[in-house]
Amino acid sequence: MPKDDRYLDPTDSVAVPRKTAPRPPTLDGKVVTLLDISKAKGDHLLDRIEELLRERVKPKAILRRKKPTFARPAPDDLRQQILKESHVVIEGLAD
Amino acid sequence: MPRTTKRSSGPDSQADAIEELYTRGVTDGLPVVPPTLTRVERAIEASGRPGDDLIALVPPNYGRATVEKIAVNAVMAGCRPEYLPVVLAGVQAMCEEAFDLHGVSATTNFSSPLFIINGPIRKRLDVNCGVGVFGPGWRANATIGRALRLIAVNLGGARPGVISMSTMGHPGRYTYCIGEYEEENPWEPLHVEHGYTPSDSTVAAFAGDAPQGIYDHRSRTAKELLTTIARSLQVVWHHKATALGDTLVVLSPEHARTIAGDGWSKKDIQRFFWELCQKPVKDLLPGKDGGEGLPEHVLAKIPSPETDETLIPKFRAAGHLKVLVAGGTAGRFSAVIPGWTFPNGSNLVIKKIHSRD
Repeated sequence: MPKDDRYLDPTDSVAVPRKTAPRPPTLDGKVVTLLDISKAKGDHLLDRIEELLRERVKPKAILRRKKPTFARPAPDDLRQQILKESHVVIEGLAD
Repeated sequence: MPRTTKRSSGPDSQADAIEELYTRGVTDGLPVVPPTLTRVERAIEASGRPGDDLIALVPPNYGRATVEKIAVNAVMAGCRPEYLPVVLAGVQAMCEEAFDLHGVSATTNFSSPLFIINGPIRKRLDVNCGVGVFGPGWRANATIGRALRLIAVNLGGARPGVISMSTMGHPGRYTYCIGEYEEENPWEPLHVEHGYTPSDSTVAAFAGDAPQGIYDHRSRTAKELLTTIARSLQVVWHHKATALGDTLVVLSPEHARTIAGDGWSKKDIQRFFWELCQKPVKDLLPGKDGGEGLPEHVLAKIPSPETDETLIPKFRAAGHLKVLVAGGTAGRFSAVIPGWTFPNGSNLVIKKIHSRD
C-alpha cells in the first residue's frame, strides 16, 4: 500500500475512556450527596429530590453540598470530600 | 522518542478515507482532508517543533495536544503547513485556565471560541481582516478556525450532544477566526493593548456568540454613533442581563474613523459604553418587562426595589468591553459579540505566535 493511503488518528488514542460507576441496587442505607452546582433554582429541584428520597427510601444520610460556580469544574477538595463521605451523588445540572 | 499516534487500520486503496473519517465521528460534518503521514509530517516540520512536544491538555477530557496531534487535526481542517504556528498558539490560548474551555465546551449557551489574529503574520498568511471578515473565502481564516474546533472535539471531547450541550450552537462552531484590521485601526491594536509589541504576532481566544450586527449610517459624530452602539449593547443576552464580563465590539473602519476623528480614545469608548449600559434597579425587576431580571440574592439586599433608582451596570467593568477594528472599508456597520461571561466564566486570552520566519 502506498504510504499516503494510510492516515493518522486525530484523537488522543492514549486517553482512557471514562466509565460510569456501577449503579447501587438500592439507596437504602446509603449516604447520598445532593450537589447544587449554583445554577438558579437548582436548590428547588434538589429540595424536592430530598423530600422524595426521604419518603421513598431509607438513606443513611442525605448531605447537601454546593459548587462555588457552575462555570467551572468542582474544586478538588470538594470532589475529595464528596468521594470520602458519600456513596451516591445526585447533581442538579443546568437550568 | 516514539510516535504517540497509532496509524489507523485505515482504508484499503479502494475505500474512501473521507467517508471513513466521517463514520468515525472525528469531523465537523463537512469533508476533511485525510491526514496522511506525508501531509502530517510536512505540517510538523513547518511548526519548527518536534512532533511529540506537548502543547496543552485540552479540557474537558484533557486529551494530550502534542504537536503531532495538532498537526493531524490541522491537516484535516485544510490548513497549509505554514499555519501550524498559529494553530499551536490558538491551542495554548484556549487551554489556558482563564479561558475555561471546560465550561465553554460543555455549556448549553451559544458560545464558541473565536480566534483573533494580530501582527505581521496576518499579511504573510493572507489572513482576512477586511471585507466579509466573519464570512468565507480566505483559506487561513477558514482552516485555522476549523482546526481549532476539530482539536476541541477530537482531543477535548467537545462532541455535540455528548459533552457539548449547546442548545442552539451557532455557525461559528464550524470555524471562527478573524484578523484585526490594524492598518485601519486608529488606536492600538488588541495585542499591543495587552502588552505585546506591534512586531509580535499573536492569537487571542474569545468565547463568543455569533456576531450581532449594528447598523448606523446616519451618525456623523462619535457621540451619536457610540450612543447607537451602546443602546444596542444594552440588549446583549437580554435587555435586563447584568454583571457581564468580556464582550467584543468590532468596529468597521468607517465607524472607527468617525469616532477617532472626534478625538476619542479606546478608553473613552469603553467608559462611554459602560456608563450608558446601566439601568436603575426598578427597571431590572423579574416580572416587569419579562421574567428575567436581577437575581434573588441581589434583590434580597435592596429594601424597596420597586422604587430604587440605583444604577446597576450591565458590564462588571469598562475594561471588559474589548474594542477591535475589522471588516470592509465600505459600510457603516459594526458588530457586537456577546461573551460567555459569568463572573467565573471565560476571559479573552492572548498568546504569542512563534513562527520560524
